[in-house]
Amino acid sequence: MPPTFTLSQTDKRPMYLQIMEQIKQRVAAGDWVKGQAIPSIRQLAVDLQVSVITVKRAYYELERAGIIVTHHGKGSCIAASPRSQARLREQELQEHLEQAARIAAQLDMPAEELEDRLHAAGDRLAKNEEELI
Amino acid sequence: MNGSIIAHLALKDWRLNRLLIVLTVAVGLVALLLAQFGGLALVLGGIWFFVALCVLGSMLPASTIVNERKKQTLAFIMSLPVSSIQYTIAKMLSIWALFLVPWLTLLIFALVLIANGHVVPHGSVPMLLMLAMLPLIAFCLMFSTALVGESEGWLIAASIVCNSSYWLGWFLLIRIPSLAANLKAPVAVWNAPAITVLCAELGLIALITGLTLFFQSRKRDFI
Amino acid sequence: MTDLALEMSGVSKKYRYFTLDKVDLKLPRGQIMGLIGANGAGKSTTIRILMGLVHQDAGEVRVLGHSMPAEQVAAKWDIGFASEDMRLYDAMTLGWHMNFIRSIYSSWDASYAQLLLKRFGLRADHKIKGLSHGQRVKSALLLVLARKPKLLVLDEPTTGLDPIARHEILRELTEVMANEDRSVLFSSHNTQDVEQISDHITFIDRGRVIDSMDKEAYLDRWRRLRLEVPLGIDLPALPGVIGVHQRGRLAVATANAFVPDLANAYESTGARVQCVENMTLEEIFVANVAHSREEVEV
Repeated sequence: MPPTFTLSQTDKRPMYLQIMEQIKQRVAAGDWVKGQAIPSIRQLAVDLQVSVITVKRAYYELERAGIIVTHHGKGSCIAASPRSQARLREQELQEHLEQAARIAAQLDMPAEELEDRLHAAGDRLAKNEEELI
Repeated sequence: MNGSIIAHLALKDWRLNRLLIVLTVAVGLVALLLAQFGGLALVLGGIWFFVALCVLGSMLPASTIVNERKKQTLAFIMSLPVSSIQYTIAKMLSIWALFLVPWLTLLIFALVLIANGHVVPHGSVPMLLMLAMLPLIAFCLMFSTALVGESEGWLIAASIVCNSSYWLGWFLLIRIPSLAANLKAPVAVWNAPAITVLCAELGLIALITGLTLFFQSRKRDFI
Repeated sequence: MTDLALEMSGVSKKYRYFTLDKVDLKLPRGQIMGLIGANGAGKSTTIRILMGLVHQDAGEVRVLGHSMPAEQVAAKWDIGFASEDMRLYDAMTLGWHMNFIRSIYSSWDASYAQLLLKRFGLRADHKIKGLSHGQRVKSALLLVLARKPKLLVLDEPTTGLDPIARHEILRELTEVMANEDRSVLFSSHNTQDVEQISDHITFIDRGRVIDSMDKEAYLDRWRRLRLEVPLGIDLPALPGVIGVHQRGRLAVATANAFVPDLANAYESTGARVQCVENMTLEEIFVANVAHSREEVEV
């Protein structure tokens, strides 16, 4: 049976971040629904062949972000908040925006140009969707 | 539990050295049978019998103790729930048994042949015993050296000393007048010198064994 | 303390050409510790002292609550030990070894043993002398895993193995962790294995423990900062930074006690932080060893 997630060795991010990312994607894609029980820390560690402490860290951070909930002695499950899916998406957007700002700063790009580029990207996306329809 | 581990280790040594024992007994028996033909055959058979025991005496410590260390199976054994002293005792029991079984078998066979045959006078029996003890003493020394010395070098040194000293043992024993005189007697004569020599030989074995246990118990590192 | 699988305090051992110096180590139950060090750093000596095979000159060793080496027999009932320089009996088959171990330990799980034979691609009727290196290593590990001991002490279990065999072994080691009462200590100079499955990492170099810590916290402390340094600016020595390499206007700072403020500290000197990178355990290992050797020499 293939493991729950596939972690990449070439990904420069720490493993716990990769695990968090994959769990968030599962939730965003709708594979894991709110209230659904997820593997215990040990079970997931064995499944992914990583250390328990790495999964513990991932679950801890996910709980802090409100994405999962751990009931002491009963394992963990996806948080039942109805806005969690939208919130995940918002968080993702925020991260991308911050990265864009950082790269722009490295390129010495003024903020207005960055804004223009963002508008242009939005226009392109709208045009592609029109063509598909 | 403790006795059980020692038994397991001893049985393991038996299983690994079965072939050597069988071969030694076979060769020894052939030698004894040859000796029944008297004259030169007796001399040849007698020497061959003696040599078989000497070879067993030096091969056993080599194949069990030194090889265990050289071939690095010692770490495997020491990972089992056994202490260094238990390992020493297990080795003593198994390897001594591995030597004593063929030794006793051949000795008894020789005595039976002498008792029922007409080739060798019964007066030779005490001398036979005293001579047969020599490979036993040599084995004891080589075993202990291999165990305490922990290296092939020590065993080789002990083997050289033992193998080159057999003639000395023969020489000294034959030179004792009261022993030589009784060799051709029709009945076995157990006089004071004979008893003394046998006791001294046994005492020597006890001494070597005692020293071995002493040195082994003082070791702090087993690997 | 019985919730420690093993504990070493102030352990020292002197050999002619090598000294193990005041080693402190703690592994809580239910966790995996990876022991990293270069060849000759002292990993094997440390492990032998843990197993009671070598008697320390100073310091205390407790394994599964037993004092070593005095109580080594009691401890070894619950410890599974395999080392890279350990050999099985050439003339005998793997099956003979399995029966030998089974006759001694009542915790032998025959069905798990059969499963391991299959997973490792081994055959019980194969004589040891005909096995390749990888198969021998897997055989020794099978003998130790099938007993399901409370503590596994493994000296370089994946050294010299092909990637498939390594993967098979790591899989079994992580499966051990499904039981929170079982612990593993393994030594390796393969940092990838250690990074992947260890809960704790201990670095040993030249007989001394230079770091021993929870893996995630440890990885989090190390960063590489890539800086652009305009002419005329000298980078200050900042706390938590163990080394800076500068060529022209580009510099790389290696930090072993990173805090987010560190980037700001550099920026406030006029340098620009291009990026802050995580480091792999291998990069940390090399930087750490170099740093600790410098410290000792100074």
